[in-house]
Amino acid sequence: MHRIDCPWCGVRDEIEFAYRGDATVKRPEAGAGVDAFYAYVYERGNPRGWHIEWWHHAAGCRQWIKVLRHTLTHEIRATAKAGDTVTAPKP
Amino acid sequence: MPVSAPEPRSPLVQALKPGRHGAVGARQVTLRAYRRSLVQLQARKGRAADLATAVRQGLGLALPPPGRAETSPTLAAIWIQPSAWLLCAPYLAEGDLARSVRAAVGSAGAVVDQTHGKSVLRLSGPTARAVLETGCRIDLHPRAFAPGQAAATPVGHIDCILRQLDNAPSYELIVASTLAEAFVDWLLHAAAAYGCEVLPPD
Repeated sequence: MHRIDCPWCGVRDEIEFAYRGDATVKRPEAGAGVDAFYAYVYERGNPRGWHIEWWHHAAGCRQWIKVLRHTLTHEIRATAKAGDTVTAPKP
Repeated sequence: MPVSAPEPRSPLVQALKPGRHGAVGARQVTLRAYRRSLVQLQARKGRAADLATAVRQGLGLALPPPGRAETSPTLAAIWIQPSAWLLCAPYLAEGDLARSVRAAVGSAGAVVDQTHGKSVLRLSGPTARAVLETGCRIDLHPRAFAPGQAAATPVGHIDCILRQLDNAPSYELIVASTLAEAFVDWLLHAAAAYGCEVLPPD
């Protein structure tokens, strides 16, 4: 069970949240071509280490937040509002 | 053809029978359904400061920051999400609260009437916290949660807006009306060990 520090609500149990994937994916420019969009929609890394993720506080304030989580240890080192920048530590 | 305004009829009319439930003793809690007018108020983009001013001047209430509720003699505002609050007032007539809030905030905020959408309950008594702790994942101990604080969190697996009213302690629980019957079913089970006195609806 994770304990996630929602920037709006404070520390809450993971069960209140829905995992919404990699928060570092950027939408390509409109003319970037089909390969770029294929990668944007389907291709994801599977990192062993720090991962910046979207979590949706579905049963609380209904906001999407960014969470810096270690995929091996499950340590959560930082959380931020959707518009904030989160940087992963060097592995 | 004139259509009469629908009176809000709580889904708990059938489910919540006044009287004693569960154990008999001095540790019992009190549960009561309240007829309230509810509106959700959301600031229009970039208008949060205008909305706060309009509500302060028009409704005599300061909009609370995250995790808190503000009350005036006739109105309570509960923070539910960024730039959005649930306003709660004694029921007068259908749509009255939404109309008066809309008039007060003008174009600074969006107003949605939730009177029929949500049901309001209050649980009170020395063991009220123990009852809620069987299904609530946030810390309700006085060191962490006090009168004036509020949270949107699941209680008994049902999404709930919870706020503490006083140190009895009393808690106000606002749940979706469609789930109110299931919620009360859970709540009466949770309270059975202490006993629960259900009062007639307000």
